[in-house]
Amino acid sequence: MNASIGSDRLLHFIQFLRARDVAVSPADSLDAIHVASLLGYDNRTQLAQGLSAVLAKSQQDRIAFDAAFEQFFNVDIGQAQTDDPGDQNGPTANDNNEPNSQASSQDNNGENRATSALDDLATRDPQVAELLQSPLVQDLRGGQEANLALAIEGAAAEAGLESMRRFTQRGQFMRAMLDAIGELPLRQSAARLEYTEPAAFDELQQVREQLRNRIRNRIERGYLLHAQGATERFLDEALEQVRLSNVSPYQQARMRKLIDRMARKLASRHGRRRRKTRRGQLNIPATLRAANATNGIPFAPQWRQTERRKPQIMAICDVSGSVAAYAKFLLMFLYALQDVLPRTRSFAFSSQLGEVTEWFEQLPIDTAINRVNLSYGGATDYGRAFQDFTELALNDINSSTTVIILGDGRNNDCDPRIDLLAQIQGRCRRLLWLNPESRRAWGSGDSAMPSIIKHCHIATECNNLKQLQRIVDKLLADTRNR
Amino acid sequence: MVCHHYPQLHSVEAVKERFDEAGYICTQQIATVIYLASALNKPVLIEGPPGVGKTELAKTCATVVAKPLVRLQCYEGLDEAKALYEWKYGKQLLYTQILKERLGVLLEGADTLQASLARLHASGDAFYAREFLEPRPLLKALEQPDGAVLLIDEIDKSDTEFESLLLEVLSDFQVSIPELGTVSAQSKPLVFLTSNDTRELSDALKRRCLHLHIDFPSIDLERQILAQRVPELQQALTDKLVRFVHSVRSLDLKKTPAVSETLDWARSLILLHATDLDENTVRQTLNVLLKYEEDIQTTDSQIHSLLRTLESV
Repeated sequence: MNASIGSDRLLHFIQFLRARDVAVSPADSLDAIHVASLLGYDNRTQLAQGLSAVLAKSQQDRIAFDAAFEQFFNVDIGQAQTDDPGDQNGPTANDNNEPNSQASSQDNNGENRATSALDDLATRDPQVAELLQSPLVQDLRGGQEANLALAIEGAAAEAGLESMRRFTQRGQFMRAMLDAIGELPLRQSAARLEYTEPAAFDELQQVREQLRNRIRNRIERGYLLHAQGATERFLDEALEQVRLSNVSPYQQARMRKLIDRMARKLASRHGRRRRKTRRGQLNIPATLRAANATNGIPFAPQWRQTERRKPQIMAICDVSGSVAAYAKFLLMFLYALQDVLPRTRSFAFSSQLGEVTEWFEQLPIDTAINRVNLSYGGATDYGRAFQDFTELALNDINSSTTVIILGDGRNNDCDPRIDLLAQIQGRCRRLLWLNPESRRAWGSGDSAMPSIIKHCHIATECNNLKQLQRIVDKLLADTRNR
Repeated sequence: MVCHHYPQLHSVEAVKERFDEAGYICTQQIATVIYLASALNKPVLIEGPPGVGKTELAKTCATVVAKPLVRLQCYEGLDEAKALYEWKYGKQLLYTQILKERLGVLLEGADTLQASLARLHASGDAFYAREFLEPRPLLKALEQPDGAVLLIDEIDKSDTEFESLLLEVLSDFQVSIPELGTVSAQSKPLVFLTSNDTRELSDALKRRCLHLHIDFPSIDLERQILAQRVPELQQALTDKLVRFVHSVRSLDLKKTPAVSETLDWARSLILLHATDLDENTVRQTLNVLLKYEEDIQTTDSQIHSLLRTLESV
C-alpha cells in the first residue's frame, strides 16, 4: 500500500512538472517510478538527483525541476513519505521531536495539558468521548502527520480534486473534502457545545481549524497542480493567436518564452540537413557493396562527400513608429532565430538601415532590442533602406539566400525604389514580405504594397505567432527541398 | 527485481567509493546517476562544458567495473558503416572468385534449373555470414560476452541521422543487420554519451537517456580533485591555485578554463619547481591555463588584482 501511495504522489508530481513546461513522457514516468523504488524515499536529495536524471532533459528543465521538487515535496509531504512504513501504530515518541510541523507541536502542547477541557468533558459526555476516539480526531490531536496526509489524499481523491479548474472553486472543494474525510461529527459536536461548554468548544474549534488549514493547503496545491497548467496552456494558445500589436506589456515575458520555443522548434526541424553529393571522391567500400548485387560490376558509384544544407537568411525589419508594437515581437523572433540558425543576418531600418546581427549575437535580448529601436527608429523610408541594404549586403546574397522583409509597406508617399527590390529579388532564392496589415488594407492610403507584391516571391499577411510560425516553417522547408 | 551486471556499482555509496579509489572524485549527483544507469540499464547522457571530466568519467567507470572500454568518437558524416558494422567486401569478392569452381562441383548432376536452385539454397547464404562481418564500435560493445563500457563521445558533433541510428542500440541494446537479422547484446553494456551542447539533441535520444550535467566543480571539490590527481603539489599552493582559477572563471573569457586546464597548470608548476603563486609565475604559465590570446591578454592585465584579492581573503 505504501509503495502505491508513493508512486501516486510521484505521478502527481510528474503532472505538476508537466504544468511547469517540463515535457515528461509516460515512459519517463515509468522510469521515475523505477528510480524511486531503487533509491527509496528516505534520502530527499538523492531522490531529487535521481529523479532529475530521468525527468529533466536539459539545463532549463533541471532548473524548473529543482524548483518544482522543492515546491511539491515540501516538508510535510516529505515527512509523510518517510514516516509511512512503520509508523501506523505508535509513532508518538518520534513525533514529539518533529520541529517542522507547527500544528503537531501546538497540539502536543494541548495533549501535555493532560487535563484539557475536552478530555474533561469526555469523562462526563459519552458522545464527546466517542468523538475523541475517532481516528481522525486522534490523528489531529496526536499530530500524526503520516496518517493525516493519507486521509487528506483519500479525501482529495474522493472529492475529485483533479477536476478543479478555477480558483473560485476552492470553497466548494473545501466542503466536499471535509465531508469526505468525515468532519461532520466534529461540526455537529461543535454546534452542540457552543453555548454549553465554551472551553471545550474552543478546543474543538482549534482542532477543526487545524484540519481546515491542512485541507486548504492541499486544495491550493491541487489547484496549482491541475488547473494552473491548463490555464497556462490556454494562455499560450490564446497568445499565439492574438494580434501581435495587441499583446500587453505584462504578457511579454510569456511571449518571449513562446517565441523562443517556436524558434527552437523551427531550427531543429530545419537546422542542419545533409545530402549525398553526386561528385567528388569515390567511396570504394560503399560502391563495392552496391556492386555485390550486380555480380561485382559497379553500376552505381557511391561518393564520399555529403553536402550540408545551410539555409542562409537575411531578415530586414521595419522598426518605424507605425509598426512599433509589432516590430518588438519580430525583433524578438529574429533574435531567437539568429540564436538557433547561425547563418542568419539581421537588419533594421526606418529610414536609414543597418546591420544588427552583432548586437543580437552579443547583447542580451532586451538591451539588443532597445538599442535597435534607439538607433534605427523614426519615420519610414523604404527607398533609403533598400539603398543601404544593397550597399551593405547585395553582394552577399546568392542563390541560397532567403530574404525576409518585415514591414507594412507604407512609405509616406516617397519613392519606395522598387527597382532595388527587384534587384534583390533577382539575386536571392526567395524574397518574402511579411505585412502586419490585413490584406484588405494593402494599397489603401500611402501603402506601396501593390507594386511591392510584384517583386516578391511571397507577400503575405502576418500578424500573430501562429501565422509567423507557419510561414517560416514553409519557407525553411522550401529552402531545403531545392 | 534488478539484476546487476556490474556488482561493483550495487549502491550509490559503493559507486562513490569505487570511483574514489580509481582516482575520480564524484559528487553525489554523479554517483546517483551512475548507480541508476547500472541498475536500470539505461545510457547516461553527460553534458557540460569541455574539460570537466565527461570522457574521464566513462573511462574511470570502465576501470571500476573492470570491463573493456569501447569508444566511438563522433564527427560530422559518421555513418553506420563506421559505427555499427561493415561487410568485408574484399573478402567477399575474393571468396566468390575462389569458390567459383566449387559451384560447378556443387551443381553437378542437377539436371533442371529447379534442382540447381534447390542445391544452392541448401548450401546456405555463404557470403552474408558472420565471418564476413566487420564489427564497428557499437556492434563490438554489444558482442562483448561479459558486458563493456561503451563511450559515444561528442554525440553533438554527429548528424541527426546518426542519432536516429543510435536509438535502437540505446533502448533495446540490439542492432538489426538486414542480411543476418537482429543481433542482441549478450550482456548489456554501460553506455555513456557525452555532449558539449553545440546543438540540441533530438527528443527521442534524450528520452532514452539518464541526464547528467557536469559543471565546473566547487572550490572544495576541485581542491580534492587536485589533491587526488597531483598529490605532489603542496597543499597551500593547491589551495591558492584553485582559488585563483575560480576567480579567473568569473572573468569574461572566450574559453573558461576547466578542470583539465587546472590539472595541467598544477603539473607545469611542479615541473617549474614553483613554490608560490606569484605574479611572475602566473604570467609565465598563463598559456597553460588559457587557450586564446585574447583571454590571456584579458587576464594578464588583472593578475595583480586577482592575486591581491586572494591574499586578502
